[in-house]
Amino acid sequence: MKGTYLGEFEELVLLTVGILFDDAYGLAISDELEKLTERSVMISSVHKALVRLEEKGYLKSHLGGATETRGGRDKRLYTLTQAGIKVLNQSRDLRNSMYKQVPKIVWDNGYGRA
Amino acid sequence: MEELKQKESPPKWAVRFFRWYCNDHLSDAVLGDMEELYLRRKKKLGKRKADLLFMWNVLCFLQPFAIKRKSSPQNNIAMFENYLKIAWRTMLHQKMYTGIKVGGFAIGLATCMLIFLFIRNEMSYDQQYANKNIYRLYNEWRGERVGHWTSFPANIHTILKKDYAEVEKAGRLIPFKWFNAGSNLIRRDDKVDNTFEERFGYADNELLDILEIPMVYGNRANALTKPMSIVLSKKMADKYFPNEDPVGKIMILNEDKTKPFEIGGVMDDFPANSHLQFDFLITLANVEFWPGEQTSWCCWNYNAYVKLRPDTNIPDFNNKLTSMKDTYLLSHLEKNGDQSLADEKAHHFFGVQPVENIYLSWEDMGDDHADIRYIYLFGGIAVFILLLACINFINLSTAKSANRAKEVGLRKVVGSFRSYLVRQFLTESLVYSFISFALAIAFVALALPFFNSLAGKQLSMPWAEWWLVPTLALGTLIVGIVAGIYPAFYLSAFKPVDVLKGSVSRGSKNSALRSGMVVFQFTTSIILIIGTFVIYKQMDFILNTKLGFNKDQVIMIQGANTLGDRHEEFKNELKQLADVENATSNNYLPVWGGNRDNNGYWKEGKTKIDKPVYGQHWAADPDYISTLGMKLVEGRNFDEKLKSDTASIIINQKMVKEMGFKNPIGERIGNWRMYTVIGVVENFHFDDMRQEIRPLTFTLDKGGDIVSVKVKSKNMAGVLPSIHQVWNKFMPHQPFRYTFMDESYARMYDSVVRTGKIFACFAGLAILVACLGLFALSAFMVEQRSKEVSIRLVMGASVKNIFRLLTQNFVKLVLVSFVIAAPLSWYMMDKWLQDYKYKITITWDLFAIAGIMSVLIALLTISYQSISAALANPANRLRSE
Repeated sequence: MKGTYLGEFEELVLLTVGILFDDAYGLAISDELEKLTERSVMISSVHKALVRLEEKGYLKSHLGGATETRGGRDKRLYTLTQAGIKVLNQSRDLRNSMYKQVPKIVWDNGYGRA
Repeated sequence: MEELKQKESPPKWAVRFFRWYCNDHLSDAVLGDMEELYLRRKKKLGKRKADLLFMWNVLCFLQPFAIKRKSSPQNNIAMFENYLKIAWRTMLHQKMYTGIKVGGFAIGLATCMLIFLFIRNEMSYDQQYANKNIYRLYNEWRGERVGHWTSFPANIHTILKKDYAEVEKAGRLIPFKWFNAGSNLIRRDDKVDNTFEERFGYADNELLDILEIPMVYGNRANALTKPMSIVLSKKMADKYFPNEDPVGKIMILNEDKTKPFEIGGVMDDFPANSHLQFDFLITLANVEFWPGEQTSWCCWNYNAYVKLRPDTNIPDFNNKLTSMKDTYLLSHLEKNGDQSLADEKAHHFFGVQPVENIYLSWEDMGDDHADIRYIYLFGGIAVFILLLACINFINLSTAKSANRAKEVGLRKVVGSFRSYLVRQFLTESLVYSFISFALAIAFVALALPFFNSLAGKQLSMPWAEWWLVPTLALGTLIVGIVAGIYPAFYLSAFKPVDVLKGSVSRGSKNSALRSGMVVFQFTTSIILIIGTFVIYKQMDFILNTKLGFNKDQVIMIQGANTLGDRHEEFKNELKQLADVENATSNNYLPVWGGNRDNNGYWKEGKTKIDKPVYGQHWAADPDYISTLGMKLVEGRNFDEKLKSDTASIIINQKMVKEMGFKNPIGERIGNWRMYTVIGVVENFHFDDMRQEIRPLTFTLDKGGDIVSVKVKSKNMAGVLPSIHQVWNKFMPHQPFRYTFMDESYARMYDSVVRTGKIFACFAGLAILVACLGLFALSAFMVEQRSKEVSIRLVMGASVKNIFRLLTQNFVKLVLVSFVIAAPLSWYMMDKWLQDYKYKITITWDLFAIAGIMSVLIALLTISYQSISAALANPANRLRSE
């Protein structure tokens, strides 16, 4: 087992799956990510992340929702699992607690300038 | 509509490629995504860009997470592990069969490897020259008799260079025993003691260039240009001049201080696989052996080598060479009124042969060369022995099939395809093949020293060669598959229902094929046995036939030429010894190491009328005929007291016949001078028995290289010290060197003896392999019929009955093999014997002995199993039912 470590891009993908809720498939996730992060995203890296997240048990998938524009092909629709939700929560809690530990002075004007 | 769709969709081949590599989990979904993207892009960017981006996307997905997994590799490895495990268990389960399969195979392979090494060595002769345009001249006689020889007159090289534009370089060589060529006593001029050395030759300086002889010291361009110069091999230079450059040093030959030789250079030792082997090359510059020798066409004593221009057309060149005959030889004959002119004109041709072909040439040029027919023969035997081993393998595999039938049935029932089973059995046979190869290499390593002494070679496994390991690996694979393919298909064909019901008869199927293979094995073996018999019998005939002289109890003291005028004194002193019967000193002896020549003889007054009778002209002293135990059938021996006997001649019966004399005594014959015939000696063999006894004459002369001593007692070792003492008295600075005449005689037939031994070895190996197979087959058959045997025993059959029951089939097969082998081997050995003028006749008793031997060997092989079956307690076998 590679461990359940969550990479930054993986976390973003996981969150996007949550945002898109019932229409989370490769291209849509890619579009959404590009929109939110304003950086260009390779469709292949999205799929790669999805496969890995599913292997880790944070996502599950099923086929469905074929449309004319896709040449009549099914989408692979992803949804968060309990474990996925838990890991997102953990990740957010970790961030929050770390954020709080940063001394107030850091956030004050002038510190980060140099 | 179709077209529209075609236009709208991404490039088909990219889609197909994607589908080919992508796994099922992602294939559809990703392709859908990419197509959506494609349409979107096409609207925005146009078709071309969208196409390109689509391809880029397809390539981007070429990553491990998306690629199809080969249908579970772990599973495949597991299967192979299982095959190997089963193979291993089967091997352990049936140790005897495994041993015979692997052992027989290994013996067959080892034999093949040995023969391969041998053939490779034979083929490697004279391949070392960078320039392939070097040739040796030869004569060809195309008359009633066809013959080849390589000697030419002395001025051949100047003619070649003057008259033939094709010839870049030409050089002469005297490779045989003649004047100082052959063997000599040699010493440094600053030392006293002489050493006997062989491998002397005469050569032109240009020959060094033609043969590309590498020089250690001195310069190839002028090492032999100075008169009386000599070139040493590196081995000899190290021996006589260790750690110094010997160029310019002086050496003395045969104590002849008036003719010192100056060393012109040191050449590398000739490689073992060269047709020429010299340690000393004496220059031919300014050499003239007798007055006029260098320009006359009378005497042919020089071999000639040439380097031709690369664009030379050889057949044309040969024709041009032959025209040399008209200009020089025919005019020479005409001038002398020689009657052989017409024959020469019609039948004598010249030609060149590539140096690289000399060793393995078809035609006998009088070289000590290998016979390419033996290469083919041994190659054939190698293939046959390997076949025998393969047959054992196939036979045993199919014979034991019953034991594997249940396994096959079960594997099929649980879903194995036939192809899997084939693969399993092939894996198994590859395992066997691999083990056999490993064993075979061990065998070769063990057998090489023995084989080397047998074949007179220095062979070794060429581990350093890059191709060896791949070749062995490939060999393992091929042999494994060839031997395993039939059993694999045979075994995998069992129908599970039949097998599990128990209705597959226990391996009795295909017994015709198995019998056929046994017959094949024994036919091969019997042919080899008979071949060995014939060769040994011929050898025995050669060594023990009545030769016309007595070679036993004769000691040949070598190097006696240095005695000078003290020959008679030395001989007389020897004759005083109690055990010495007689002694003679001579160069011409009817065994290996004696001189030979060839002269034309005419009756007196007929020199310009008759064709000459060619014969040997041997010099002998009055003791010669009695020392060698030859028989005078007419006339008398030489008499020292008669002054006139210097003009007397003794001839052999063959000469009498060729000359057509009724009363030879008193007739006058001669070559360039005339002699009176005073005696006729009984024909005796002085050549290889492949040739007919030729005409021969003796004239009176004293001295020579070899003193032959006839000893009275059988105790040679007791006589030698006293002879040695006499020698030391005369020649204190020269080592006493001697050989026994019977050994020198046997040396003429070294190659025959060698062939016989090698043949016997192969015959033994073939029989061994065949017997291993037969042993295993009989064991199997006994096992198969154990119930039948037990019941017969219970019903009162005797041990004899059982034995006969179990053996008669095999004996029948061996008899059939004999019937096939006998005529085949008769034909083959008759062909072989045709080489000999004096030979045995192949008699029926040879075949009878070979037949009885093979039946006995077969019986012995199978009787162990049969007797133990017949003696076993039937109750033990039957109890299990």
